[in-house]
Amino acid sequence: MCRYHVITLSRYYDGAFGAWRLLFLLLLLPSFVHCQSLTDMHEVQVSAARRLSDTGIQQTTLDTAVLHRNVAMSMSDILTQHSSLFIKSYGRATESTAEFRGTSPAHTQVLWNGMHINSPMLGTVDFSTIPAYFVDEATLLHGASSLAATGGGLGGAVVLSTSPVRQHGLSAQYIQGVGSYTTFDQFLRLTYGNSRWSNSTRVGYATSAGDFHYTNYDKKVDVRDADGNITSSYHPTEHNRSGYFHDLHALHESYYDTPHAGRIGLAAWFTHSLRGLPFLSVDYRDDADFTNEHQQDAIRAVAMWQHSPAATWSLDVRGGYAWQDIAYDYYTHRSGDARNIITQSQSYSQQAFVQAKADFMPAADWLLSARLGATYNHVRSYDRTPFHIGDNYNRGRMEGALSLSAKYRVTRRLALSAILREELYATDLVPLIPALFADYSIVSSTKTQLIAKASVARNYRYPTMDDLYFQPGGNPDLRPERGFTYDGGLELRHHDKAFGIEANVSAFDSHISDWILWTPNVHGFWQPANIKRVHNYGIEATASPSLTLPRGWKADVTVNYAYTPSINRSDDLDDADTSRGKQLVYVPLHSANATAALSWKSWTLRYLWHSYSERFTTTSNDVSRITGRLKPYYMSDVMLEKDFQLRRTHIALKGVVYNLLDSEYVTVLSRPMPGRHFEVFAEIRL
Amino acid sequence: MLLAALVLLAACSNSDPGTEEEPFDTAGPGVFVLCEGNFNAGNATLSYYDPDSHTVENAVFYRANDRRLGDTGQSITLHSGTAYIAVENSGIIWAIDATTFRVRGQLTTGQTQHMTNPRYIHFVSDTRAYVTDLYAPYITVFNPQTMEYCASIATEQPAAYGYCSTEHLVQYGTEVFTNCWSYSNKLLVVDTQHEVVTDSICLSSWQPKSMVLDARGKLWVVTDGGYATDEDSFSDNIPHLYRIDAATHTIEMDQALDTDEGSVELATSPDGTVLYLINNDVYRMDITASHVPVRPFITAERGNNGLRHKLYGIGVNPANGELYIADAVDYSQAGIVRRYTADGTLIDQFRVGINPNGFAFK
Repeated sequence: MCRYHVITLSRYYDGAFGAWRLLFLLLLLPSFVHCQSLTDMHEVQVSAARRLSDTGIQQTTLDTAVLHRNVAMSMSDILTQHSSLFIKSYGRATESTAEFRGTSPAHTQVLWNGMHINSPMLGTVDFSTIPAYFVDEATLLHGASSLAATGGGLGGAVVLSTSPVRQHGLSAQYIQGVGSYTTFDQFLRLTYGNSRWSNSTRVGYATSAGDFHYTNYDKKVDVRDADGNITSSYHPTEHNRSGYFHDLHALHESYYDTPHAGRIGLAAWFTHSLRGLPFLSVDYRDDADFTNEHQQDAIRAVAMWQHSPAATWSLDVRGGYAWQDIAYDYYTHRSGDARNIITQSQSYSQQAFVQAKADFMPAADWLLSARLGATYNHVRSYDRTPFHIGDNYNRGRMEGALSLSAKYRVTRRLALSAILREELYATDLVPLIPALFADYSIVSSTKTQLIAKASVARNYRYPTMDDLYFQPGGNPDLRPERGFTYDGGLELRHHDKAFGIEANVSAFDSHISDWILWTPNVHGFWQPANIKRVHNYGIEATASPSLTLPRGWKADVTVNYAYTPSINRSDDLDDADTSRGKQLVYVPLHSANATAALSWKSWTLRYLWHSYSERFTTTSNDVSRITGRLKPYYMSDVMLEKDFQLRRTHIALKGVVYNLLDSEYVTVLSRPMPGRHFEVFAEIRL
Repeated sequence: MLLAALVLLAACSNSDPGTEEEPFDTAGPGVFVLCEGNFNAGNATLSYYDPDSHTVENAVFYRANDRRLGDTGQSITLHSGTAYIAVENSGIIWAIDATTFRVRGQLTTGQTQHMTNPRYIHFVSDTRAYVTDLYAPYITVFNPQTMEYCASIATEQPAAYGYCSTEHLVQYGTEVFTNCWSYSNKLLVVDTQHEVVTDSICLSSWQPKSMVLDARGKLWVVTDGGYATDEDSFSDNIPHLYRIDAATHTIEMDQALDTDEGSVELATSPDGTVLYLINNDVYRMDITASHVPVRPFITAERGNNGLRHKLYGIGVNPANGELYIADAVDYSQAGIVRRYTADGTLIDQFRVGINPNGFAFK
């Protein structure tokens, strides 16, 4: 069967055929990864060498080309379309959280240029507030592999970074996007560099009314005759109410390569965001009478020094500061009434961190690393709600972490790695976090690498400041969540003259106990407790074949798939509780996405597809109730790009159709999503 | 092939495009169970239980009307063959036929001058009904026959930040009493003839949560006591039970209850001579008693881990005095209703929707 595919493929290398047939063929490419009969192709050197620092690490790397594909996209969109993470979101510019391997959003640790950007209050990150155009590299560290970067990632970690632009002189890039629902995206980047300096300033501003129309199947309008009898009824067409947003981001970076003391750099990122919180599909109130919005201002800055005094050791020292002001306002302003403020909450958080990392190679087969970091978080959370008035809490917390690791290449094929990590939260030491990694090179030729990887780790996540201190409800007696995970998998890299593929498949098994869960109490507020045990296991797979064809054609496909049972193993609350043994709420069992790109000279056609299987909305997974499940979710986007090169000016035009097949769908209960909609972009680079 | 499969999959509709409206004809006695659902999920539902056949039909509002009930179903009240359902966070009051469950009409916030989050409904007459509100400092008056807005009664209480919500409504003569739960310790007295607030009663404990009237014209009020933690407090977290003379507005009894976390709720027997109190367990006391008994009438069951069932609502069938106790389980799965005889013997139990909190008896 494999041989047949290869012969067929080889035949088509020389012949011209329709784009649709080529795309069809490319989508079958993942099945070629097991074939051994590609020897008739010209061999080329595999470009990516196996690094000792990556020993046993299960990671997914998203490069700049993926991240900078569409200025309208946030990291939420990128992760939805290019990773196996589950992104819980209900539209553009709405809160979007990422779940690794069926864990909770707080189990995904996120670093930006080495600084934790998880909210010290909630432990989560809203990925919709991170524009993908402001990130140059993104690495997803799955499961135990997250310990290579940070602790607390019981699901995994997302490592985001910016990087210097290597160029001489001044350049500029401007992108203007105009889309449905009065959506405008603007992006400007100015860069300047020489042999030592690299400076970059990016500004992005996005606005939208977000007022898409949809058929509201949750409501029905009755048409009555003069006697009040219903003569007909219909599901009304409504518009998404309070879906507006204004997001402003500015990022400046400066890097300087000193003659003898390495590189110093600074990255500073400012955010101002004002977003309406959309009404539920079952809300009958008039949006003209209510304002329900979320405002966020943030500054994050990281200074770094990277130096390799000798070939055998290197230093990375960095420090940073972050300030965040988040406000939530809900009030009525009905005609003839005084404004009635229902909820007014505000939180200020500040974070300062320093971190030093040293790598030392005492011998060619050894790599020793030490990482020492300290972070101070301070939060003032203030509320005026029906359930609380005044400071929720006003607290600071010192956190420290020490990580030691050793990596050893035992033989040419076998490498082992160990990490020991210790974390301190205020005066509490979490138990020692150990992790072991191994990889074995099964095939290592000039064009093909096939590596088996395995890891095992214990991990802990300390409670967030809201968990401990939020008033009312905070529980100072909470214990850290405990995780134990092990995984194994295969990683394939093959690069030939015309054909290349990178593929990864891994299986994992993870147990989390003392899972912190907030549940309502009778006084109208919620309280956290260590009440859950969860067993997560499953498979993650990725394949990215690419094909370079004659006459300027090029094709790429990326496919991601995850199977993630995430089972509640807690004791029954009582004999009425049927949640034990059931999939966690909103965690899909299957998730998949695929991106196919076909390029010809300066034209690129890209098709993006992603899917989530059904998600349960109750802990008992009872689907007999009308709202017990969300149907499987399938989505298609398509984009067409054309580049023009006019002397020193580069112009690009792009058209995007979102929700190509105009599906009617929801991703979260009572949160309708937009139908088919469009955006066009014009880009100029000087 | 894969592309074709993707396109076919993507072409499927991923939302619920509605269903056929299901005919119901439930003549005879029955029990409505309102299930609040989860806040901001829009999954409130209505169940209907036939006590003769011991059968339950769930989500009957949706099935009969092909539309969802809404977000946070707060209360259900029967009047003249129609069930009125206040759905708080949807800003709507539904009027449905108690036999067919078909919608007869609705009152939305936009039809009124002040209504924001409707909580409870009381019928002063066949053409005049009062609605309390979580946020608006007004009691809304509407005509239950036409579902048209009539007037608003200003509570004259501070409204911002959720202060002084109005909750249950109880009528004694021409006066209607309402308890202000949110950040308040007051009961308000409304003169139904002039539709103005004429008096208020201050309690020693905060956040009066539930209120009933007994056969002797005494108001019984239970507070939840606010909350109190090591670092922050609003009141002392100690629930109190009060007996108040409805005629003179004087407090005759004030008893502090156990502080153990638990829901507090009140109900009376059909003849108004027996008081039922949920405070973790269910207590039963004669209205002439001077204090709540030490031993519960119905003990909330405990699971293998020793945790007690979360009793979330109580209803007493006016026809026979049977008790219906709602159990929220973990607040995120279908709740259970247990049916007891008036002497506390378990008759039946059945699953309903998420967070059952209210009953109405047909």
